[in-house]
Amino acid sequence: MICCGLMWKSGGEDLQGFYPVRPECQADVPRTRFKSRAGKTLSARRWHAAFTEDGHLDMEKVLRRIQRGGIHPSIKGAVWEFLLGCYDPDSTFEERNKLRNRRREQYGAWKEECKQMVPVVGSGKYVTMAVVLENGKPIDDSSVENQGWVVKNTVTDERVLQWMLSLHQIGLDVARTDRYLSFYENGGNQSKLWDVLAIYTWLNLDIGYVQGMNDICSPMIILFDDEADAFWCFERAMRRLRENFRATATSMGVQTQLGVLSQVIKTVDPRLHQHLEDLDGGEYLFAIRMLMVLFRREFSFLDSLYLWEMMWAMEYNPNMFATYEELENRNNAAEDPKLLKRYGKFERKYVKSNSGQNEQHRNTLAVFVVASVLQTKNKRLLKEAKGLDDVVQILGDIAGNLDAKKACKEALKIHEKFLKKANRQ
Amino acid sequence: MGSSSGQPEFDYLFKVLLIGDSGVGKSSLLLSFTSNTFDDLSPTIGVDFKVKYLTIGEKKLKLAIWDTAGQERFRTLTSSYYRGAQGIIMVYDVTRRDTFTNLSDIWAKEIDLYSTNQDCIKMLVGNKVDKESERAVTKKEGIDFAREYGCLFLECSAKTRVNVEQCFEELVLKILETPSLTAEGSSGGKKNIFKQNPAQTSSASSSYCCGS
Repeated sequence: MICCGLMWKSGGEDLQGFYPVRPECQADVPRTRFKSRAGKTLSARRWHAAFTEDGHLDMEKVLRRIQRGGIHPSIKGAVWEFLLGCYDPDSTFEERNKLRNRRREQYGAWKEECKQMVPVVGSGKYVTMAVVLENGKPIDDSSVENQGWVVKNTVTDERVLQWMLSLHQIGLDVARTDRYLSFYENGGNQSKLWDVLAIYTWLNLDIGYVQGMNDICSPMIILFDDEADAFWCFERAMRRLRENFRATATSMGVQTQLGVLSQVIKTVDPRLHQHLEDLDGGEYLFAIRMLMVLFRREFSFLDSLYLWEMMWAMEYNPNMFATYEELENRNNAAEDPKLLKRYGKFERKYVKSNSGQNEQHRNTLAVFVVASVLQTKNKRLLKEAKGLDDVVQILGDIAGNLDAKKACKEALKIHEKFLKKANRQ
Repeated sequence: MGSSSGQPEFDYLFKVLLIGDSGVGKSSLLLSFTSNTFDDLSPTIGVDFKVKYLTIGEKKLKLAIWDTAGQERFRTLTSSYYRGAQGIIMVYDVTRRDTFTNLSDIWAKEIDLYSTNQDCIKMLVGNKVDKESERAVTKKEGIDFAREYGCLFLECSAKTRVNVEQCFEELVLKILETPSLTAEGSSGGKKNIFKQNPAQTSSASSSYCCGS
């Protein structure tokens, strides 16, 4: 991993070097708009200064910075662990080290468990062909590629079979995840991504592996040297996103968020909503990708990370760690205004308005970001869109043309407007 | 990006849908067709879309091509895109047998279930013929399948661009030969209904079940 050491230039340094793009792909990726800005972006120096001697972190200060200018690439991973609730800012270095070690051991144990079932796990390789037949029987004509990995005995356990059947799909996707980044020219890095996704899938069979998880996981693999740390960061990110990936016979989880989006646009821009409805787009299916992979496809790699951390900072809730760890000591900010400052801008509004209900609103900032994107294209959509194909095309133009911070700012405004209007109704 | 410089006039607007298993190269095929490039593309989430303008004979055509996610989880979402399609391209990977067997097990059934156009033209496309040494499905099998299900057939490579244009052109020619489909396609466009000139085929090989 490339780390620190790079000089700070005034007015924004060149950050492309952190996530190099394969030379032959330069022309195909959206340009990066993010710049590290002195006084705005959370720098390595500021970050390290935010800790007390024993390791307590001034999260309030950190959040303020991130919401203003994102995080410098040299410290992204470390900061994300706090943003996503992997660690409690109110703990010491020592406590966190212990926790980290415990988690690494835990991950190692899960990995071993998976390896026992399918030995390719952890081997530095991965599969793109089925390892077992859908009925659980071994594959008879094992092709050369799969030899050694295919299952030898009939699998009778439903859960195990379900997991095994997802492995080649994960492989097919890993093979084409962020291929424009030099990082994934290295087969070892691809297998790391595959391992983490495979193990996550084993632990979350209720949802299983769904395409798009690879887009969420890939940055973690790049940001963390240690595979277990990457896993835990991914796991925490998925806590916020996993319901989007839940599929039933008739719908996908993300449609719940689409429903909220529809509600929001109907409230803040009824004309646009009506127009979309007339075009048979009232379900907002065209926004699925933005929500499921959090704008990974609309932004350059670095810009999408910038957007994510900005959103996570705005959605930050100091009780997250305790909630995930199922601890009891949660603070109630509604009763203590001083605590409110420890929430992200977006989350704070919910805490203020109705502290009891904020669970269901959690992580909806993305919906408002989509709303803000629709708003910026409002005129063209109303004037030019004569069919859903036009809608998709107009929205397609945002690739590389969107500023993450502006989008978040707009999203907060729309959120405000929405709350006001919704309360009036 | 790209093709949206102004809105060319067109005589017909046709909706075409790409379906098939994950990783068979649907998006690559589309990219190869619309922008002459080949790339390792990320998996499609939900549905994607591209436009291509074509001139065939005297007719200016706008193709709205919808590209769907292959993973079965997305099927509840992709099913609504079959509606009103004049052409459906079923893609499989000639190096992965399961992607071929799933055509009859899954994809042909999806078409029966969700397609609203009785006369909708179906086309079978075997992709990745550049990997000839890894081939797992013979051309004959493809031809037989196409005959059984009444669809056009071609083998192609999105990577080398062999037969890529032909895939879409043959499909479009067939759509143009089908009065009920052209009537629909032109009503959505900017111009009014033109005469329907059946079966004027300029391109060399557009017979049923052909290959090359």
